[in-house]
Amino acid sequence: MSDILLEIKNLTVSVRNGKSDIPIVKGVNIEIQRGEIVGLVGESGCGKSMTARSVMGILPGPARKSGEILWHEPDGTVTDLTGLSEKALRDMCGLRIGMVFQEPMTSLNPMMRIGDQVAEVLRIHKLVRNREEAREKVIRLLKEVGIEEPALRYRSYPHELSGGMRQRVMIAMAMIGEPGLLIADEPTTALDVTIEAQILRLIRQMCVSRHMSALVITHNMGVVSALCDRVYVMYMGRIMERASTGQLFANPLHPYTRGLLSSLPRIGKNPEYLTTIPGNIPEAGREPVGCEFCLRCSDDERRCFFERPSEIETDEGHYVSCFMCQRV
Amino acid sequence: MSEEILISARNITKSYSLGRKKRHIAVNDVSLELYKGETLALVGESGCGKSTLARLLMRLIKADSGRICFEGTDISALSGRALKPYRKRMQMIFQDPASSLDPRLRIRDIIAEPLRVWRVCPDKTEMERRILDLLDMVELKESMIDWYPRELSGGQKQRVGIARAIALDPELIICDESVSALDVSVQAQILNLLKRLKKELGLSCLFISHDLSVVNFIADRVCVMRGGVICETADTETLYAHPGHEYTRYLLSSIPAIGDDPVS
Repeated sequence: MSDILLEIKNLTVSVRNGKSDIPIVKGVNIEIQRGEIVGLVGESGCGKSMTARSVMGILPGPARKSGEILWHEPDGTVTDLTGLSEKALRDMCGLRIGMVFQEPMTSLNPMMRIGDQVAEVLRIHKLVRNREEAREKVIRLLKEVGIEEPALRYRSYPHELSGGMRQRVMIAMAMIGEPGLLIADEPTTALDVTIEAQILRLIRQMCVSRHMSALVITHNMGVVSALCDRVYVMYMGRIMERASTGQLFANPLHPYTRGLLSSLPRIGKNPEYLTTIPGNIPEAGREPVGCEFCLRCSDDERRCFFERPSEIETDEGHYVSCFMCQRV
Repeated sequence: MSEEILISARNITKSYSLGRKKRHIAVNDVSLELYKGETLALVGESGCGKSTLARLLMRLIKADSGRICFEGTDISALSGRALKPYRKRMQMIFQDPASSLDPRLRIRDIIAEPLRVWRVCPDKTEMERRILDLLDMVELKESMIDWYPRELSGGQKQRVGIARAIALDPELIICDESVSALDVSVQAQILNLLKRLKKELGLSCLFISHDLSVVNFIADRVCVMRGGVICETADTETLYAHPGHEYTRYLLSSIPAIGDDPVS
C-alpha cells in the first residue's frame, strides 16, 4: 500500500572542525507517506534540525551532507533533491515543501506587512497573474489559519501581532504554495500552552483538509503524542527507535526512549523523585565506538561498547536499534 | 511544612508607564503567603506578571503600593542598608544558565563571589572547603572548580547557578523558570536535585513556571496567575484533581497528553 511522498536515505551530515569532520547526522533513514504526520523527536544537538534543513537545502555554511533525499510525485517519478541545482531546489521548496520555523519573530521580516510577506511566495513562484489575485488568495488563507479580520490584518507588521498570531502567519506562508509536505521545526516551543494547543490543532486540520504530510521536529513528547501518526526517536545523530505513536507510548523499547519518557514529570503520577537518565550527552565527535547510548544506558553489556546494533523489527512497524531488545 | 509564614505580600500593585498617561498594570492588588518549608508555585502564561511578582517579593523592584513582610517585618519601605540583611536570606536561580554565569570567571570564583561579599569565609582554606562542599551538594566533580562556564553543559551550568544560590544558606530560594531552558533528561536531573536540596536544607521555595507538569511534580501549593491577578490558589493535589477556576481548567486542558495519560 506504500504511498511514499518523501524518503530520506542514509543521510549523513558532518561539520568540518579544523582538520577533522564531525558527524552530526549519521546514516538516517526516514520515510513519510502521503497524508502522514511524522514526528522527529530528540534532545538539543541530536541532529533533528539538521535533518530537516538538509531536505530544504538550507544547512549552515560549514556543513556537508551525503545520502539521498527522494521526492515521489503521484505519477511515480522520483527526484533526488540532493542532486538538484539551486534554482530547481528553490522551485521545489516553497511550492512542494513548506517550512515553519521555531521563532516567528526572527523568521518574519519586521519591515514588511504580513500580507505582502505571504504574497511574496506567490509572486516569486509566479502563481498569480496580478496583485489583486494574490491579495485575495492571501486573505482567504489568513482566514483559514485563524486570523480574524484578515483584510485588516493584511496590512499589519509582525510586531503588531502576538506570538501565536505570528506563528499562524508563518504557517500561512508555508502553506500558500499548497505544498505536499510541511516541515515544522519546533513550531510551538516559543508559545504558551494554550496557544500551543491551538497551533497543534491548526496544523492537524491543515494536514487533514489538504491531504498534506508533515514532518514535525520537536523535543516535546506531548506534541508528538497530540499531533503525530508515527515517530522517530533520535539520539546523537542516529535513529534509535521508530514506531507508530500508539506503539511508542504503549511499549517503548529502546532504553533511551524509556529513559526520556520516565524523565517527564506527568500530571496524575506523583513519584517522590523522577527516574532520570544518568550522565550528560557526550560532546559531538567524542561519542563511543559502539552504541551511542552505551555510556548512559542502564542495561548495557560489553558488546554495546564495541559494536553498533543494527535496526530490527520487533513488531509490525516498530523498529529499534538495540542489542538488548533483540533477545525479547 | 509549618504554619509559620516566611514571606507575605499584602495588596501589592506594580504598574509601568506606557507613555501618554497610559499605564500597564503588571501586578494588580495581589496578596499571597509563603509558609516556611513549602514550595509555592506561580504559574501562568507569559506576561501574566509572575516574574514581576517574584521581583517585588525580593525587593529587586519597588511596589507602587502594598506591603511585603519577611518573617513579620515590613520590608517594603526599607531601603539600601536596612534591606541588606534580607538580601542574604533570599536568593534567586535564573532561567538561562548560560547568561547568568560570568563567562570570564572560573567556577570557583562564581561560587565564591557571594561568600566574599558577605565575608562568610575569611580564611582561604575554609573558603576552598566550602566551595568543594557546595560542588558536592550539586553533584559536580571537585575537579571542575577551575573550569570556565563554557566548558560545562547546560545542566552543569545550572548546577553551578544552584550552588551559588545556596552558598549563603538562604531561607528562601526563588526559581524563575529555572528548568525551562533545559532538555528533558537534564530537566529531570535538576528537578530531582532541587527537590532533594530543599528537603535537606529546609529551604522554602517560590517556583515560577509556565509548565504545569513540572509544577505538579515539585510544588506543595500552586497560585495560578492571569493578567496580573491571582485567580486561584490551592494545594497541588486539589488544584489538579478539582480545578476551581475556569482559567485553570482551560490551562490544564491545553497540555498535550502523553500516551494515555489521564489529563482532563
